[in-house]
Formats: sequence, C-alpha cells, structure tokens
Amino acid sequence: MCKDVQDYLAKLKKELGSSADPALVQDALSDAETHLRTALEEELSENPSLSETEILIPVVEKYGSPSEVAAAYLAIEPHLSPILGQRPHLDPRSFLEKFFGVLGESSAWSAFFYMLLAFIPGLIFGSWAILGGIVSAGSLLFIIGLPIFGLFLLSIRGIALLEGRIVEALLGVRMPRRPLFLSKGLSWSDRYVALVKDNYSWRALLYAVLLFPLGLIYTGLFSLLFVFSLSFITSPVLELIFHVPLDLFGDNVFTPVWFLPIVFVAGLLLLPLTLHLAKLAGKIHGQYAKAMLVRK
Amino acid sequence: MVETIDSNKKFQKELNSGTAALVLLSILARADEPMYGYRIAKLMEAGDESSPMMKQGALYPVLRSLENSGLLESYVDPSISGPPRRYYKITDSGLRTLKSWTEIWDQTKKFVDNVLKGKNDV
Repeated sequence: MCKDVQDYLAKLKKELGSSADPALVQDALSDAETHLRTALEEELSENPSLSETEILIPVVEKYGSPSEVAAAYLAIEPHLSPILGQRPHLDPRSFLEKFFGVLGESSAWSAFFYMLLAFIPGLIFGSWAILGGIVSAGSLLFIIGLPIFGLFLLSIRGIALLEGRIVEALLGVRMPRRPLFLSKGLSWSDRYVALVKDNYSWRALLYAVLLFPLGLIYTGLFSLLFVFSLSFITSPVLELIFHVPLDLFGDNVFTPVWFLPIVFVAGLLLLPLTLHLAKLAGKIHGQYAKAMLVRK
Repeated sequence: MVETIDSNKKFQKELNSGTAALVLLSILARADEPMYGYRIAKLMEAGDESSPMMKQGALYPVLRSLENSGLLESYVDPSISGPPRRYYKITDSGLRTLKSWTEIWDQTKKFVDNVLKGKNDV
C-alpha cells in the first residue's frame, strides 16, 4: 500500500531497479506522477472528505502496483532503442573498410553535424545560463529576485530537456523524453526549496554554462578539419584546371605539381579521420550529457 | 485455485501485450482531438467497467512504443492546474497500420472462435 504519490514513485523507482536506463526511469516516473495526480485531483473533487491515502488505494488498483507497472516498462524498453544507437556488435569488416566505411555511416555524419553546429546551442543555452544566472542571482538582493531566480532555474531544466532531445537525435544516446516537474500538493515555498535543493537543476545549469566554450571548441575544430580535408581533396582540380591557389592563412600559394597527389591523398584520409573523431567526440559528449542531464 | 488465478493472469497479460497497441490506435483514430494518457485510460475503463482488461499504468509504455514507431505523435501541454500533460495523436502511418491490424484481428478472432466452437460441439 502506498501512503501518497511520492511513496508510490519511490517504490516504482525501486522496482525498476538500478540497472534500468536512468532515462527510462525518469520517463516512467513522469508518466506515473502525471497520471496519479490527475486521477487524485478528480477523485478528490468528487469525494472531498477522503484523505489522499484512502483515495490512492482504488487509483493505484487501476493504475497497477509499482511492480506491475515496472514490469510493463521493462518489457517494452528493449524495442525502443534510439534510432541511431543501433550498431552491430561484431564488425567483420577489414581495417580499410572500417576506416573509409565511416563515410557511409549516418551515425557518424549526425555526430559530425552535432559537433559542427554545436556553437548554436552553446551560444544560446550558454549565454542564457551565464547572463540569466548573473542577472537573476543579482536580483536575489531584492525580494523580487526570489521568483525570478526560480523561473530561471525552471528555464534551465527546460533547456536540459531540449538539449537531451538534440543529443538523442544526433548522438544516438537515450535521453529523457518527458519533462520533470515538481510535486504538486506542496506549498509554493516548499516547491521553491525542492527546486533549489535538487542537484539536477545545478547539474543542468553547469552543463549549459560549459556548453558555451565546448560548443565553440567543437565547431572550431571540426569546421577547420572539414575545410582542410575538402580543400586538400579539391586542390588538384582547383589549381591545375581553374588556377585557384590554395589559401592557407591568407597566403595564396600554388602547390608544386609533384606535391599535389600527396595533398589529395592527405585530404582523402583526413575526411574519414574527421568523421571518426566526430564519432568518438559524440560518444564521449553523449555520455557526459547523460551524466549531467538525467536525474539520478 | 491460486494457480488458476496466476495462469489466468498470465494468459490475460499475454493477450494484452498484443491487443493493447490495436486498442490504443483504434481509440486515437476515433478521437476528434489529441488525447492524454489519463483520458484514454478513462475511456477504456468506461468500455469495460466490470473487469478492466489491463492496468492503466501498462498503457503508457505502449503509447511510447507506438510513438517511437511513428504510429502516434505527441506534444506536451503545460497545464495550469496540474502537471504537464502529453497529448497523443494518430499519424497517417498509424491509420494505415490500424487498418491492416484490424484485418489481422478479424481473421484471428474468426479462427479462434471457430476452433473454440468446434471444441464445444464435440
């Protein structure tokens, strides 16, 4: 029997077990909390004299016990892997096939695009986190600052969910699909304290702040690598046929003809290498995002 | 007796795992507007008050799975009075799937009924 919704959620979390994907746990808890609170609200309006514990008994009876609900989620989750996250376990391809095969892998290209465009979320989320953080923290000197700071933290949690969706779509790492919300039934001040005390809010804030420099580094590095490999590959055609010199850091130079094949081959190697690097960086960033943006 | 109840439960659960998706698609296909989980559960309950076929909590993972397969789409509406709700809507691919699943269901039902009736006649 469950005392209240929080008690039910704690039991559900326990039933899902520590080995379940944290993102799945967050989704299951979010679904259960929304449903149970909506049901409670409705039942309470019909029977205002009953206590939450009394009303919860039939509501939970219909919703299913924590163990039944956990079993339903665990049974379906294996079929729900992120679209880009599926990789064969054994790769029978030779080294060369693997090295150049990356050019045909959609997961490598999507990780590359994440890296190439990382400055956009970095700038938006990072500057909001930094500037919003400074302004709202400064406003805490006045009483009006309290709600402003609370709203700021809420916006950071929204950003965390959004960034999670981008990370899942492009890096193929399972991230939460449902928003977190604070318990209903708490007073405004208790909710505020819960929001501030929840280390998820602070981890999300730190992630958003760090995305600013990280985004710039990712975009800088990968655009440079991409431009270099493309210009190396095209340099024989550009120089010999169209007479366009290689523009290296502002110095227009024509490559000696005997050196052009080497430049061309270097470009051909650099492009798959860039994609391999993007895949690796994407994998590491995905794990980092999962550690920071999923409630433990 | 306990064994019978357990085996009945298990049988019902196995049946549900296949039919829940069909039932949810059908409810959402008939709905005039997007619906959230609790309303869908209520609708199903109204159709079968005596012995609800499946626990409401088991509907949500099925909804997620249908959404993941592109048969449903959803959006979150932050409600003013309560927690934010996720509204589900059937997609074109969901409608096509519903049509072929309904045909499969009709055939299965006919087949099982025939076998069961044949057994009763003996």
